Amino acid sequence: MDLRFAAEDVAFRDEARTWLTANAPTERRPKLGRAVRDYDLAWQRKLYEAGWGNVAWPVEYGGRDLPLIQQLIWFEEYARTGMRPIDTRFVGLAHAGPTLMARASDEQKSFHLPKILKGEVVWCQGFSEPEAGSDLASLRTKAVVDGDQLVVTGQKIWTSFADHSDYQELLVRTNNDVPKHKGITWVICDMKSPGIDIRPIRTIEGGADFNEVFYDEVRIPLANVVGDIDNGWSVAMSTLAFERGTAFTISQVQLAASVEELIELARSRRSINGRPVIDDDSLAKRLARARADCAALRSLTYLGISKNANSDQPGPEGSMMKLHYADLAKRVYRLGIEILGTRSLAIPVDEDDTEWIDKHLIAYSTSIGGGTSEIQRNIIGERVLGLPR
Amino acid sequence: MDLLPTPEQVEIIDSSATFLADQISIARTRELFESGELPAVGAAAWSAAAELGWFALGLPEDRNGIGCGLADEVLLFREIGRRLAPGPFLSTVLAARVASFGGHQGLSDEIAGGRRVGLVIPGSLDAIGPDGSIVGEVQLVDADPDGLVLTVTPTIAALVAVSSLSDVTEVPCVDPTTRLHRAVGTGVGPVSSVASEVDPVELRGHVLAAALLTGIVEWSRDTGSEHAINRVQFDKPIGVNQAIKHPCADMAVQAQLAYSQSLFGALSVDEGRADAEFQALTAHATAAAAAEFATGATLQIMGGMGFTHEHDVHLYVKRMELLSHTFGMPGLWLDRLLELPEPV
Repeated sequence: MDLRFAAEDVAFRDEARTWLTANAPTERRPKLGRAVRDYDLAWQRKLYEAGWGNVAWPVEYGGRDLPLIQQLIWFEEYARTGMRPIDTRFVGLAHAGPTLMARASDEQKSFHLPKILKGEVVWCQGFSEPEAGSDLASLRTKAVVDGDQLVVTGQKIWTSFADHSDYQELLVRTNNDVPKHKGITWVICDMKSPGIDIRPIRTIEGGADFNEVFYDEVRIPLANVVGDIDNGWSVAMSTLAFERGTAFTISQVQLAASVEELIELARSRRSINGRPVIDDDSLAKRLARARADCAALRSLTYLGISKNANSDQPGPEGSMMKLHYADLAKRVYRLGIEILGTRSLAIPVDEDDTEWIDKHLIAYSTSIGGGTSEIQRNIIGERVLGLPR
Repeated sequence: MDLLPTPEQVEIIDSSATFLADQISIARTRELFESGELPAVGAAAWSAAAELGWFALGLPEDRNGIGCGLADEVLLFREIGRRLAPGPFLSTVLAARVASFGGHQGLSDEIAGGRRVGLVIPGSLDAIGPDGSIVGEVQLVDADPDGLVLTVTPTIAALVAVSSLSDVTEVPCVDPTTRLHRAVGTGVGPVSSVASEVDPVELRGHVLAAALLTGIVEWSRDTGSEHAINRVQFDKPIGVNQAIKHPCADMAVQAQLAYSQSLFGALSVDEGRADAEFQALTAHATAAAAAEFATGATLQIMGGMGFTHEHDVHLYVKRMELLSHTFGMPGLWLDRLLELPEPV
């Protein structure tokens, strides 16, 4: 066992840090409109041109295919730039892209993968539906084969960045006469197709990254099906591991950085009683606890990476990290509100304070998105501990 | 960076588990404490552990030790914790270091050879003097009245003769496998001592306590889950219910966090990292919180059986309390964690 990084890994960290420090955008990411997409894609193009298009993708698809430990280092250094862990590039790079690599035809791969890597397109995900949340396989959006096309009618929900997207990884029901997992098809949907209606969902913090997407007889070429008709569930499952891989490191490192900022905030601000906020012993202890919990989460990440570096099957640490992170993020960002105290009510007064309020509100999503904490607990209970379903 | 055990480390885990199952089983521990023998570990088993080198595992070879790292000791102590083995394992291992680094190699050899050393739990922080002597009210864990006890503070660790203390009175311990005395210090200087800059005994103690607690969390996770699988009510295993399944999953997470942070703490000390104190304290705080949760969750999952003397879970609850009040207590560690520089 060893916590020290090998000499070549230390050199790699220097290289990554140097490049990121010199090249990460210094201007704030816009919150709304076309500017969001432009900002993210410009960043991806810059990454691509410098050979950082993707650290995990295989070399044959233009990726860097770094060893897992160097991926960890890359994401640790990326986190330090303050760039968001998830932006409009995420689905293409971390989900649809890896799915295409695993299951798409050569034609599909050679058309789509370079566009994703070069920052030319945005992808979104069309999985969840109003009646298919945690129970994804019960999805109903219908697709009927008509000649060489699929005709899609139905509705998706929680589609992040749909309004910025060129393509969508879309799950549709192509067969109602078989068990629910067996009648699903994974298809590439061009988001400019006629019959698509995108309606933004305003969320708790005032943003509108999520959308409802409605499909009214949308025609998609059969050539866009990945894998086979009715075999989409296994296509979708082939990349689940990517969603909980090393990329999660960014969120974890940024949470730890937030705790350090909150400790500083509690030292510099005065409470309503005129005394430094940090003098509140209960609050101070919870800040200390958060600091310890972030350190322990890092050790869990390192343990998971040590295991995954030696095995093709990702360990259960992915679900464990996500579950613990969600609980911790909600606790940490609530502390921000406690430190601001009565000042936490006035949203537009101060830019920095606004950020803490946003982070607190957004933290509620951490135990819902990407598989709820309840589902993570089921997965750990059943797959790790062998408890009955 | 690699947190996976090497084949040699897997061998430490396997051989210690086998030895404990054979020589220091919970059934044997129960026999001993129920017949009044405290600490509830037989002399033969204790000597056998010494012969295996358990008390010199982490001592450097030039100090007559085996020369393994603190991470190796973590793997051993996790098994000790999992099996609820009683006896002053923690203080004896640390005492062998104090004697050696304190310039008393003969005494170190004696301790490594199986001489038990108890642990001092001060009633207040000022009960231990700057030189490691005892100057106030203390409790002694698994002390031999004719023997030595270990005092540990963030700056010094020392060995003090029990015979130099006054009002030494045996009292029942909340952990029934453990012998406890109350005593009052007289300020008599220690037999041997070592400053934390020379050897960070306190940090090693926190990490090893964390390892013992990790074993307790893992036992709780496994015991609670097994019951959830096997216990049938309303014609179904109770584990189908999320109210049972989810605390089991939480125990699995807590066990993994306690384990990974114990290793992180141990390697931080071994490698002399700048944040070793932070990582070691975090290990103890993390494992203590995990063990409090996990023992309680498993007791609840066991239902009425969990509340009985017959089931082992209460012994784990009580051991958890002992280890959570060793080298201070959680609130104290958290206060220190907030004052330390940001981890590297």
